[in-house]
Amino acid sequence: MKFYIDNLPIIFPYDRIYPEQYAYMCDLKRTLDAEGHCVLEMPSGTGKTVSLLSLIVSYQQFHPARRKLIYCSRTVPEIEKALAELKRLLAYRIECAETEEGKQKERSFTGLGLTSRKNLCIHPEVSKEKKGKVVDARCRDMTNAAVCEKGRADPGSVELCDWHENLGKLEPGSLIPPGISTLADILQYGRDNITCPYFTVRRMLPFVDVIIYSFHYLLDPKVAEQVSKEMTKDAIVVFDEAHNIDNVCIESLSIDLTRPMLDSASRSIGKLGEKIEEIKTTDAAKLQNEYAKLVEGLQDDPQDDEVRDGFMTSPVLPEDLLNEAIPGNIRKAEHFIAFLKRFVEYLKTRMRVLHVVAETPLSFLQHLKDITYIERRPLRPVFSGADCGSALADSFLRFCAERLQSLIRTLELSRLDEHAALQKVSGFATLVSTYEKGFLLILEPFETENATVPNPIFHFTCLDPSLAIKPVFERFSSVVITSGTISPLDMYPKMLQFSPVVQETYPMTLTRNAFLPLVITRGSDQVAISSRFEVRNDPAVVRNFGSILVEYSKIVPDGIVAFFPSYLYMESIVAAWNDMGILNEVWKNKLIFVETPDANETSIALENYRRACDNGRGAVLLSVARGKVSEGIDFDHNYGRAVIMFGVPYQYTESRILKARLEYLRDAYRIRESEFLGFDAMRNAAQCVGRVLRGKTDWGLMVFADKRFARADKRAKLPRWINQYITDTGSNLSTDMALTLSKLFMRTISQNPNENQTGVSLWTLEDIEKAQAKQRAEAMAMEVERQANTMDDEDEFEDGGISDRMLADFDMDGGGWKSLQ
Amino acid sequence: MPTSVCTAKASYKKLPGTLQLTDTHLQWTQDGKSVPSVRVLNADAASLFCSKAGAAQVRMKLALVGDDIGHNFTFTSPQLVALNEREKFKTQLTTIIGRNKGAPDSAAVRLPVSAYTHSASTSVANASPTKLSLSSSKPSTSRAASVSSSDNRATPILTGNDPAQDFRLRKTILLGNPELGALHRELVIGGQITEAEFWEGREHLVLAQAAAESQRKGKPGQLVDPRPETVEGGEVKIRITPQLVHDIFDEYPVVAKAYSDTVPDKLSEEHFWKRYFQSKLFNAHRASIRSSATQHVVKADPIFDKYLEKDDDELEPRRQLTDQVELYVDLAATREDHEETGNGKDVTMQAGRQRGALPLIRKFNEHSERLLNAALGDGPPTKRRRVEDDAQIDLDDLHDPELSTGIILEMQDRQRYFEGRKAANSDDARKNIDFGSIIQEAKTNISQWEADLAQLKLERKPGDAALLSMTQNVAARLDVRSKTNDLPNGFFRQMTTCQTAANEFLRQFWSATYPSGYELSTAVTPAQKAAKATKMIGYLAKTHEKVEAIVRAAQQQGLDANKIEIAMKPILTAVDRALAFHRNKKVSRGS
Repeated sequence: MKFYIDNLPIIFPYDRIYPEQYAYMCDLKRTLDAEGHCVLEMPSGTGKTVSLLSLIVSYQQFHPARRKLIYCSRTVPEIEKALAELKRLLAYRIECAETEEGKQKERSFTGLGLTSRKNLCIHPEVSKEKKGKVVDARCRDMTNAAVCEKGRADPGSVELCDWHENLGKLEPGSLIPPGISTLADILQYGRDNITCPYFTVRRMLPFVDVIIYSFHYLLDPKVAEQVSKEMTKDAIVVFDEAHNIDNVCIESLSIDLTRPMLDSASRSIGKLGEKIEEIKTTDAAKLQNEYAKLVEGLQDDPQDDEVRDGFMTSPVLPEDLLNEAIPGNIRKAEHFIAFLKRFVEYLKTRMRVLHVVAETPLSFLQHLKDITYIERRPLRPVFSGADCGSALADSFLRFCAERLQSLIRTLELSRLDEHAALQKVSGFATLVSTYEKGFLLILEPFETENATVPNPIFHFTCLDPSLAIKPVFERFSSVVITSGTISPLDMYPKMLQFSPVVQETYPMTLTRNAFLPLVITRGSDQVAISSRFEVRNDPAVVRNFGSILVEYSKIVPDGIVAFFPSYLYMESIVAAWNDMGILNEVWKNKLIFVETPDANETSIALENYRRACDNGRGAVLLSVARGKVSEGIDFDHNYGRAVIMFGVPYQYTESRILKARLEYLRDAYRIRESEFLGFDAMRNAAQCVGRVLRGKTDWGLMVFADKRFARADKRAKLPRWINQYITDTGSNLSTDMALTLSKLFMRTISQNPNENQTGVSLWTLEDIEKAQAKQRAEAMAMEVERQANTMDDEDEFEDGGISDRMLADFDMDGGGWKSLQ
Repeated sequence: MPTSVCTAKASYKKLPGTLQLTDTHLQWTQDGKSVPSVRVLNADAASLFCSKAGAAQVRMKLALVGDDIGHNFTFTSPQLVALNEREKFKTQLTTIIGRNKGAPDSAAVRLPVSAYTHSASTSVANASPTKLSLSSSKPSTSRAASVSSSDNRATPILTGNDPAQDFRLRKTILLGNPELGALHRELVIGGQITEAEFWEGREHLVLAQAAAESQRKGKPGQLVDPRPETVEGGEVKIRITPQLVHDIFDEYPVVAKAYSDTVPDKLSEEHFWKRYFQSKLFNAHRASIRSSATQHVVKADPIFDKYLEKDDDELEPRRQLTDQVELYVDLAATREDHEETGNGKDVTMQAGRQRGALPLIRKFNEHSERLLNAALGDGPPTKRRRVEDDAQIDLDDLHDPELSTGIILEMQDRQRYFEGRKAANSDDARKNIDFGSIIQEAKTNISQWEADLAQLKLERKPGDAALLSMTQNVAARLDVRSKTNDLPNGFFRQMTTCQTAANEFLRQFWSATYPSGYELSTAVTPAQKAAKATKMIGYLAKTHEKVEAIVRAAQQQGLDANKIEIAMKPILTAVDRALAFHRNKKVSRGS
């Protein structure tokens, strides 16, 4: 259908539209017009992605200055789905375009998705490598500028990648025909034309209208520097499924060092040293050249840019980069190596400590300075005096990563994956010396409380999620943060330190209740159930959890998904259930699949799970909240008729990193510990449970099995579209009561929905126009009122409009429903 | 006479006799008698038990479906021979029982096993990949192909292909549906219409029956986990049944391999199992995490330890996974999407820390996969590497329901029908115009209702009359009801038969006259159809006579002939209509 929002013609690839989709698009447009940021929560399964793409593409195609769309998602399956949606949308737009010219305009609209080499490589040998790092390294060895030059000058002297070479022969900007290509499409295109899919996408980036990749490509400075540098300021940035965005931010600036890593780094340093000695005798000019170059200030070879990604870029944010030449004392390769050696030795000594140490970067640097200063003086008579020493250590550290890049390039090293640990160490050095606030160093000598064999880990942990995302907010004019479960909305602007122009959550309009959330607080034997640490292994609790699964496997058709709060708990409870004979009961009704540590193995289990659901055999999938499966896999329709959340998915509160983060949040942003923990647990619970729905004719049960879910403060943190359907009776049930309600629900939902959804939860074009007319009338009325009453506040109009009206509508519905109960 | 598979001397209820296994039955004949006194359908065999190898008597017990007590046979030949004989019976019966377990409710379907499994396997294999494409107007779309729909497509059309099979199916249908059976007896056995004619237009019944029969009961889901029972004296006991052996071999091929390697050369069967259940191998196979605790109790066993595999408890599975998974569920792709960043996960979130649970979890996944493959064949039905259809991203309720291709109702004078509707609609529209005046009118009408109500007076006479007429009405109805069943039973049945027969002729006639909706009957040529129609008309023409005969008979018996005439009136009207139609058609064709 085609309709207008204000003057903007929107092409929406369906005949009808959900009211929440319309409202969502209106708010999105407001954000784009205002060139600001927004936080939008739209119920899961109501077609968020298609609304988003539909509006933004309409916007891009309507305005002459095509603003590029950078669409970030969490997982590769989600990236692929978004690409497929986009492809469908464009096909529809081409069909709808009235003139040939218009059709041409739609056809030239290009969108691509980017992921790693590992996922995009089609080189027969390299693509067989299991580890992403190895694929990267081998690819670089065949595609970097130096090798290519050598290979082209003297064919056969070095191995080059044909797929990459073929790309070079093509016109930049037309490596692939215009249009939308999904990841599968681009792989196929690469195979058909013997071109490299990965570099096709990389080189097409400046020319595309839409690019879809994961959060990391924009947030992780190591990657963003390479991939997202050329994105223009007016680009529209969308973070979809952004409920965990703060974690991605934190991760992209945090680093862990272990003893094996340090050992490996030492070995790498040794190898580098040998290589330097070797080159000194064979090709001394090379090192001389590098030295000269460093004196002039680092000058990158732009040709080589695209192959360096990840490995050889700076781990700090762009604004924190020092725009200075590398200091003199580490310009000479052997001096730099000596520094590295010393630094690694220092870290090794630190790791011998057998008690936990938590310190700020500043105190770490101070200590480092104290220790290394003593050792260094005889070596460096030029720098006598403490001040000079500290400056030395400081500058060494800050330039460490950069200097290493230069050295590696000079030495023309191959198989960089072998030096990954050294790169980590140098990244660590640079990070620790760059950031003071919002970071903490934690040394944990033992893995667990009662471990006796030390296995020390040096955590350098970022506590402030706003740091990593700050450049994004500063650089791009419109950033959209959206998800199905992003409640409470005000938490995100607080944590990420930005001010949104629009902040909205949409209720779900339903003509009949498509899902039934139930809170089970106790088993049929009235024993309270909870995943609280003290009681979670109590046999009564384990049995009651088990009987919930058994009973639901008896009454629910097709697929059931069960989530546990952690891997540890899932693994122990699965074993316990098996020994108690509980799983034998489940086997009678359904097949059982369990998430395993291996991603590939789990994918196959998932695929089999889906087969069992399609076939009608039915299956149970046991997995973990915040685990691999909970992110980005949909359990809609028969793939999930019930989701059971066993326990509240709290984070492990004994974790020192978490404790540090909580402390920081409290001090810096006044977010209380319990508030954050509750918020974090509930957003993950909501995320798990929200994946059962897709569309309004789909239905599913959502079972929260823990007595703590009954508390009002917990439930208040659920997204409103879920919370609104939890009734008072449904919030405190025993297993048998919940089963009765579930059976009743399934019996009603399986009836043909004879009431007409159109006009209520489904809008046709006329309904949109009606709504718009009404909106205009209201706006007029308000205008009149305002003119009459000059005391009125200015900004009130901005927040009014459709969503409030819908809200009012909705409350009526809710009330009506309740009275029926 | 069915072929005999094996025979042996055996006693039953302490009487000597011969036990014989044929390909359909297991029978026992007492010595000196010619007719077997125990005769069990092979399809009824449910489980088999044997006495211990060292026991004095060589015994075998066969339990039947729905009869756990079953039959006890004692092999009476000398010990060694008896053992051998029993072994033969055991192997044969085990396979039969295994087949029965895989089959649907075996009591209901009695048929040669070989033919049966054949059709079953083909239909199941075909059924799995067919996906039902549901029109978008369907309210709740499920990806699960519903059973009935897939059967329709997948079941091979049996009619005509295999007469024996066909006959059997028809017989089952007739037995299952007494009314149809009666009609069949009346018409076909009575020689009025042929068997083929009778079944024409009823193919769906045969197909449905075939489909129902080809539904195989799947393997039960439970893991093979023989749990030892403790008997007094600290001994543990595990009951070995042929079924269990079968399951163990199926689940753990390595045990089957060990069995074929060692039995009977190195170990006797009994010894084999005894040592297996004491071996580390068995403990590794047990689906329990606690088995690791018993590890040290278990003695080393030079034979079985050879077959011991390393525990599958590494983070990466031992099994090599080369399968490419669909991109929409590919979790590995996400992990490889970017370099790992951030701090490591805390202890509780590191998958696979419970080492002991990993082999168990893997066993679950593999067991489920095996069960699924047993039903659907190996691998996902249509391995879609690339997702061609975007069913997974489509929101089906956002499509216009009008756009779905429904079945258009064919009817005469369609245009007139819609015109009529339109007229009615415009009528409505006209009425709708003046709400205000209607409300106004209604308002004035009820403005003085209290006064009006007070004025309301009922005349006595009409009230009484109304009550009287109602009473009469009720009485009349009661009368009718009490009289309805006054026809003698036999007579009533005669009427019914006459009616159903006429109905059947009518059905045949019309199906021969009008083009059939079934593709199946297209094989019939128009000429044949015409001939059939004429034949049916011949029968139908006699209906009047038949009815008259019944009426006459009724009169003779002193029954109310009128009532019978009324009862038979509709069918006579229908028959007349058919006759008139036929005449007209002939006339029109003649002219």
